[in-house]
Amino acid sequence: MPDLPRHNLPVEPNRFVGRERDIDELCRLLGRARVVTLCGVGGIGKTRLALQVAAKGGPRCPEGVWLIELARITRPELVIEEIARVLGVRQEGGRPLLDTLVARLRGGGPCLLLLDNCEHLVDECADVAAALVASCRQLAILATSREPLRIASELVWRVPPLDLPEGGGSDAESVRLFLERATAAGTRLGQESLPDVVRLCRALDGLPLALELAAARTSLLSPAQIADRIDDRFSLLTTGERTAPARQRTLLAAVQWSHDLLSAKEQVLLRRLSVFAGPFDLGLTERVCAVPPIAEPEIVDLLGGLIHKSLVLYDEGRGHYWLLETIRRFAAERLAEAAEREAVRERHLSVLCELQERHFAVEVAEAGLPWPHRLAALIRSRSLLDDLRAALDWAVESGNVPLGLRLCFNSTGLLPVSGNPMEIVGCLERLLSRDLTRVSEEQLAQARGCLAYGLEARDELSRSLDHAFQSLVGLRDPFQRCVMHSLLTMVLLRTGRADEALGHAEQGLALATATGDAWNQAAGLAGLSAVALTRGRLREAQRHGEQALARAREHGHRWMMARGATQLGAVAEARGDLVTAWDHYETAIAWLRELAGGVELCGTVELARSLARGGRVAAMLGEFAAARERLAASLELSRRTGQRQGVARCLVGLSVLAEAEGDLDGAVLAAAAAAALRESIGQRFATGRIEELLGRARAKLGEGRTTSLWSRGRSMCPDEAARLVLEGVRPAAPAGAAVTEPVRRSPLTAREHEVAALLTRGLSNRAIAGELVISPATVARHIANIMEKLGYTSRAQIAVWAAEHPAPSA
Amino acid sequence: MDERIVMVDSGTGLALTERQLDERSAAASILLRRRGVRPGDTVLICLSVGPALLVVTDAVIAVGGIACPVPAELDEARLRERIRDSSARVMITDLRAAVRAAEESRVRMVLGAADLGRHGDALRQSGHGEPRTSGNWPRV
Repeated sequence: MPDLPRHNLPVEPNRFVGRERDIDELCRLLGRARVVTLCGVGGIGKTRLALQVAAKGGPRCPEGVWLIELARITRPELVIEEIARVLGVRQEGGRPLLDTLVARLRGGGPCLLLLDNCEHLVDECADVAAALVASCRQLAILATSREPLRIASELVWRVPPLDLPEGGGSDAESVRLFLERATAAGTRLGQESLPDVVRLCRALDGLPLALELAAARTSLLSPAQIADRIDDRFSLLTTGERTAPARQRTLLAAVQWSHDLLSAKEQVLLRRLSVFAGPFDLGLTERVCAVPPIAEPEIVDLLGGLIHKSLVLYDEGRGHYWLLETIRRFAAERLAEAAEREAVRERHLSVLCELQERHFAVEVAEAGLPWPHRLAALIRSRSLLDDLRAALDWAVESGNVPLGLRLCFNSTGLLPVSGNPMEIVGCLERLLSRDLTRVSEEQLAQARGCLAYGLEARDELSRSLDHAFQSLVGLRDPFQRCVMHSLLTMVLLRTGRADEALGHAEQGLALATATGDAWNQAAGLAGLSAVALTRGRLREAQRHGEQALARAREHGHRWMMARGATQLGAVAEARGDLVTAWDHYETAIAWLRELAGGVELCGTVELARSLARGGRVAAMLGEFAAARERLAASLELSRRTGQRQGVARCLVGLSVLAEAEGDLDGAVLAAAAAAALRESIGQRFATGRIEELLGRARAKLGEGRTTSLWSRGRSMCPDEAARLVLEGVRPAAPAGAAVTEPVRRSPLTAREHEVAALLTRGLSNRAIAGELVISPATVARHIANIMEKLGYTSRAQIAVWAAEHPAPSA
Repeated sequence: MDERIVMVDSGTGLALTERQLDERSAAASILLRRRGVRPGDTVLICLSVGPALLVVTDAVIAVGGIACPVPAELDEARLRERIRDSSARVMITDLRAAVRAAEESRVRMVLGAADLGRHGDALRQSGHGEPRTSGNWPRV
């Protein structure tokens, strides 16, 4: 399995300059305060500073350092979704996402979340941050925001501008940054220009963004010319509030100045770029922004010009562009001023709609395409998630429900396969709450179908059934009718209505066969196999399963192929053919790994399930090493995606493995931990195997020991129980030898020992000073040093320590 | 320890004993260290005259800092000037006007006197203070 990444910090576009002590200090503070908020005006460098701190603190966080870019989020409810998406946590059916997120973060080791740009969602960020740190002891949060979150555990750290030159020196941070960026822009500035650079740094108040924008212009203007022009700009500054803080005005003046120097077409492009929610690529820019006066072929050069002027940033590795939040906001204001906002956002929505329709067709609907084409479409579709959300917001805001609904149907990124079902349900509900007069019957039926899909993943089965049935009434598109039949087959089976499920599987298959739709033929056949298996008709189940896999192979999508293989594995298991079952599960695992390796988090729940099943079957076959490897991988995947049901499934597998290896103690412990976990999440489960296991344990280990193992296993945390079987680690016996501390040299100096010894006599600083013939201030300083070395917070603690640690004889 | 009184608050008449001063300034000094104050750092102190002022000043000196008292009575514009002209990274104040005045300065952290040890109990800290065992974040 590909190693799961431990951070998502971006490659920084250029060298970071200055703030060495601040970074160091913030790293230390993050070890002590749970929430540190970097506050300050836009452009002061909060994000860059936070990224530096996060990168430096990263190696100490085995659970990772995760950047959550909130600027691209517009609605409060998406804050949690975005955190979950970045961490790879998927919603558990029928449970609040926050709950799953907490369970995931509580389980692991130290972890750092970087919530960047909280200001527009400050209340929600405050609530989420407070809730997370309250329940997850090893979590620290570093936030950047124009205003503090105002929660109890927060330490507000005000980001200052870069140091200004004291005299005419060139070692001040602001001067260093300016010179660095000027050099990067290809300008060589000699000693003679230093006084002007110093003047410019002062005029720009050491604001990093302002300095970067100015430095980008040094190829055409000398520092003196820039300084003069920016001075003029201050007097001309009319946009924004005159009463705004000086730094904000300085920054606005610099941005405005840089903007006004752009060519007319560059200005138009810059403002249009503000509609993109996240990073964007050239293709998307061309499709959305090439409207008169800009022609498509011009866009490359215009973008290049904006990059050259530091207004647009470019990530060469990923081939995408982005705007700093401060610039994006400025550009969005210009877009509104130019009365282009509606038109460009509408175009953004329709372009996304076309793109997603195309991607969906290539990934799933069209026949006869090779798998690499399908995978590429899937990857491209997923990369548009931020823009998808922005476009859906616009569909709701502008009341363009038809286009919004179309976007929903074609966006597999929103569907439960990889995302959080809450999101698609929320999107559809928001769209459906608008004026629906322009929406056709067919579209309403599609919307209901989509809603049914999301609800199934949320385990709201009866609502899902309602919508699916109603959807079928109005739905005409054959592909979508087939998808509904498949969904109904699945939900009806889950609710124990196998007869009705059979009907839908047959109808779906017939329709798909008539239209030559391989995807839905495979789905229908897999449904028929599942129904037959439920009814105990193993030969029929086998035949349909084989046909399903054959159709899926024809289509090529790894997800559907894995579904066929898993189905065949289940059928083989049912007839007791473990060797064949293991074979099928291994095949499914390979396909799903291929998928998850190509598209982050795609099909992870299915992968975790196949791994757990494969591991259990391998254990029963006596393939212990393979079983251990599969179960460990499955456990890690479920833990990281927050799927407690998946964790419980692994524990059951581990119990089987332990028993197969002759370790009845471990088997009982793991089974007990699984049972306790399932109860805690309200999952019902069959107790048959547990009863049998306990019966065997009682016979071998005795009643008392079995009962005590069972209750110990129930109180164990799932990870601990799992480690026990995976690594053969027995919990330390509660009694036992006291840990012998290695003899270490005292951390205190001789003088500090003297002070500490005098503290045991209850002397005041003044009295100690008298004894030692030093000043009381020096005594206080010694005491501060002693407390720091020993990690104490009061004099009394030192006295206790000193009584136990007499001074080493000299 | 003798119960020598070292200060009487003229407003409330409450006395501060030598033991209390020693304890509280010791507790405050360690919190200043943990907030990153290093020997040689200037720390602005804008508190009205009273026990907290004495405790905090002693604590700043104990960590090797340079105490820089700013009269609490100054108007906001004058406060702003004083704060801006200092190179302090940390300010200790309970005054709202001083907190506002620290905007646009180079002060990184504003701490309340309460953050450095609650009145009457030097062992317990409120607000930003945290017991040593809090969290399992690896110590720096």
